Order: sequence, then structure tokens, then C-alpha cells
Amino acid sequence: MAEMNTAEGGGKKKGKKKTRSKKVSTRVDLTAMVDLGFLLITFFMLATTFNKPKAMEVNKPAKDDKQEDVPEVKMTKTYTVLIATNDKAYCYVASEDDPNILVDSTDFSRTGFREKIKERQKAVEQAWGNKDELFVLIKPLPKSDYRNLVNVLDEMAINGVKKYAIIDDFNFADSSIVKQVGQSLDSN
Amino acid sequence: MAKVKIPRKSTTIDMTAMCDVAFLLLTFFMLTTKFRPQELAQINIPASTAQIPIPDANILTIQVTEQGKVFMGVDDQNTREGMLLKLKERYQLPEFNANQMSAFKLMDAFGMPVEQLPQFLSMKAEERNTMVQPGIAIDSTNNQLGEILLAARQSNPELRIAIKADASTDYEKVNKVIQTLQERKVNKFNLITSARGLSGEAKE
Repeated sequence: MAEMNTAEGGGKKKGKKKTRSKKVSTRVDLTAMVDLGFLLITFFMLATTFNKPKAMEVNKPAKDDKQEDVPEVKMTKTYTVLIATNDKAYCYVASEDDPNILVDSTDFSRTGFREKIKERQKAVEQAWGNKDELFVLIKPLPKSDYRNLVNVLDEMAINGVKKYAIIDDFNFADSSIVKQVGQSLDSN
Repeated sequence: MAKVKIPRKSTTIDMTAMCDVAFLLLTFFMLTTKFRPQELAQINIPASTAQIPIPDANILTIQVTEQGKVFMGVDDQNTREGMLLKLKERYQLPEFNANQMSAFKLMDAFGMPVEQLPQFLSMKAEERNTMVQPGIAIDSTNNQLGEILLAARQSNPELRIAIKADASTDYEKVNKVIQTLQERKVNKFNLITSARGLSGEAKE
């Protein structure tokens, strides 16, 4: 306030003539205000979350004590995915009679697992007339990263696979594959 | 040769426009963002293309850290209060006083064994915030997560359950939580992921 008074400096003229109000510039120094504005922006940028995380819905089958009407799925319609450690996946088509199964080793990059699913969808479409017949069995190994489970579930959504299940039991074929590739089914 | 006079220019700049921009951005950030809740542990969530936003209300979040520690929290303060009362009955804890109650109501998530809750809630706020919480037990012999889950759902039956796990957590640790949920007949839940474009470019 004191500075403003000296700047006007019109105190001496009083009384003699008409008091003419002196024109005061309307400009205000906004530097301080800008400083404050940017300080607050910085604060809000650091203290708040910007994008809300999204949710992915998972439905698990109800655990019933009495296992009735378990729908039988033809093995030739299935595709088993073993999610292993080090971002590896092992996929195979199980068959009822042929003990020799072909295992594909792949990863979760764009050209890896997604291509495998697409190939399998095409094969199922040729054999059964509808690619929705494909049933994907997702079997994550205990030591595999949770991220890769999310990746696989995501691929299901991207490729429009209607039927899939997360399964914690490993059959004989699975355990022999796991052994062959040097992974472990143990949790410790 | 005549001296060339350089006219003196004022060094003050008109700040009005800059000020406008600053406050416009400020308003934008204030309106579009929401305060980051205090995190008990660093959790890097995996990315996916899922588009469903997480509901704002009635949500129970189970956090799983990379080491497999489990934390749990509900969003609504009334649910928290009801949950604590149910837990008190279940574990025969002493009566909670008003301070402990309000401390619990202000906690976004917790990871303490239920038996230690009264002591934990009597601590000073600063001590409580800096303390490293051990996580909720989910062993098959002492599955406190199941009990807390039950208490929370009794207190608010509309709760939806979301799992927020670190991308590098072992599957078995997440699976333990999922199995606990299934024991309590929760077969439908959400996995919290961050958004990613369809291209899959962000994949490592």
C-alpha cells in the first residue's frame, strides 16, 4: 500500500483547484499469480491419479460339492495353454487317442500367442464350422507371473474367444511337458 | 560516424495470457483427477485392453503385492464401521472406543492380523502410516481374509470385489486369494488393470 501512495503522489495539490482524479494504470503485475498457478498445477499433477484403472471381469465356475452334468468337451476342440515362467507359454492341442502331441512354445508378444490363437480358431472353424466351438484351457503354472495370466485373458477378449477356463489341475500331458521344458509344477 | 542509439525496451512482459493458461490447466487438473489414495505398498498393475471402468461405489479391493502380502479395503466408511463391528464379534475383541473407530473408518486399506487391530488402531496416525503392515493371513489354517471378506459382505451385501495384484506376483499367490473368494462363494470378481491401446504396442 505504501508504494501505491508514493506512486500517485497527488497529496500536495489538494484544495487549490478541482481535484482531478489521476489516471492510474489498470495493469497489475501478474508474475506472482502465474507463479502461484503453476505451483498449484504441479501439486495437482503429482498428488492425483490421472487415468482411472480399468477392470477385467473374471467368472469362475461355482465350486459344487456334487459334480453333476459336467459338460464334456471334445478334446479336438480344445487348446491348452500352459503359462510358464520367463514369459513363456506352451500351447498344444490335446487329443483322446494320439499320445504324441505337438507342443508350441511361444511368448506373449503381438506375433506370438495371438497368432497361435488365430491359427487355432481357423482350424476349429474348418473342422466344426464355427470358430466359437474353440475351448481354451488356461493353465498357469504356480510360479508364472500374474501379468501373463492377464495377457492371456486379454487375448481371449481381443480374439473373441467365447469359451475359456482357468484351470489349476495339471494332467499327465501337462506335467510331462513341464518337465521337458525344465519348468516346475511345485509351488516352492 | 554517428552513434547508433539503441532504444531501450521495457523488460516487463504482459503476463495476462500466461496467467490464463496456468489457471485453465489448474482447473482442468482439479476437475479431471482424483486424489491418489495412500498406498500401503507399491503395486504395478498389469496392462490390458479391458474397457470396463471400476465402479465408484461399493467396491472391495484386495491388493496383492509382489511378495504376496495381502491388503484389503472397502471404499465406504459405513461399510468399514459395520465390518469392524462384525470382526469384533467374530474374534471376540474388546470394545472399540470412538478414536479407534474413526481411525478405522479413515483407512483405505489395511493389512494387519485381526488380533492386532485394537492395538494398531490406538497408535498415532503418523506411526500407523509409517509402519510396515504384515499383510492379512490367507493360510488354509488361518484364513483371516475369508473372515474379513464375510464381515464386509455382511455389512454391505452389494459389495463388488476387485483384485489388484502386482504384475510380477506369482500366480499361486493370486490364486490363493481367488480360492479364498471361491470358498466364500464369490465366483465373479474383477481384476484391476491399467488401460492399453488395442495394438499391444506397450507389451514388453
